[in-house]
Amino acid sequence: MVDFMLAAVISAFLNIGLLLVIIGTYVQNMRVIRSYYTSGLVLVASLLMLQNIVIVLFWFTLYMNDKALMMSADMLAHYLFAINVIQTIGLSVLVWITRR
Amino acid sequence: MLKFLPNNVIENSQKEFFISYTNPEQSMFGIIFIFPSFSLSEIIPRTMFSFSGSDRIQSQPDPKFKMILWLIIAGTRGGVNRAKILNLIKNNPMNANKIASVLNLDHKTVVHHVKILSKNDLVVKAQKEYAAEYHLTQIMKENQNVLEEIMKKIETK
Repeated sequence: MVDFMLAAVISAFLNIGLLLVIIGTYVQNMRVIRSYYTSGLVLVASLLMLQNIVIVLFWFTLYMNDKALMMSADMLAHYLFAINVIQTIGLSVLVWITRR
Repeated sequence: MLKFLPNNVIENSQKEFFISYTNPEQSMFGIIFIFPSFSLSEIIPRTMFSFSGSDRIQSQPDPKFKMILWLIIAGTRGGVNRAKILNLIKNNPMNANKIASVLNLDHKTVVHHVKILSKNDLVVKAQKEYAAEYHLTQIMKENQNVLEEIMKKIETK
């Protein structure tokens, strides 16, 4: 059986990596062009990064310690997996556009 | 929830519902009450929907185009160089070699940037076999003040 929770967390780590690339490019541009637009891009990317960090923290604290919580988390795992994988696909497209 | 109500209550409420929606006066009142009397175009400016509408004032930049230009310049790697290329060929069209020597960039880099810019309909290549010049497209020429605004931000830094 596929461990959806693990897959979701791997996907979250992937998202963090992709977002690091995106934020790196945006910050480079922000240092040259300082405007509401460039800082807005950095802010949005950072908030998405925060979201993925929260997912990883959720996995570490909730999922690892408690057996009962683990059971209920497993029931939601495939939803979390779907959300994260869709986000990974979206961010991959964004990285492709940003770095070409 | 409905199954806790006695049957006659449900029937009555269904009848009332039916009556109120078949009576033209009441149903009209219902629709007006549900939908507030403003249209979408009052919230979102009309220029958002037209890319290059004929009723647009020349001096005001197209918000949609402004967004695209900002995204290409501020949202991609090497976007600053793209802005510089656009600014350079604004008045006099140049070929890739000349752009590279003026901006002190690699020839390959310039060719790549120009390819991306032409894919996004910002520059167009002259119909020539050798040393074809690049110049701005019509839509880019119309919205040059957006580019100027961005260039001002680059130069002040």
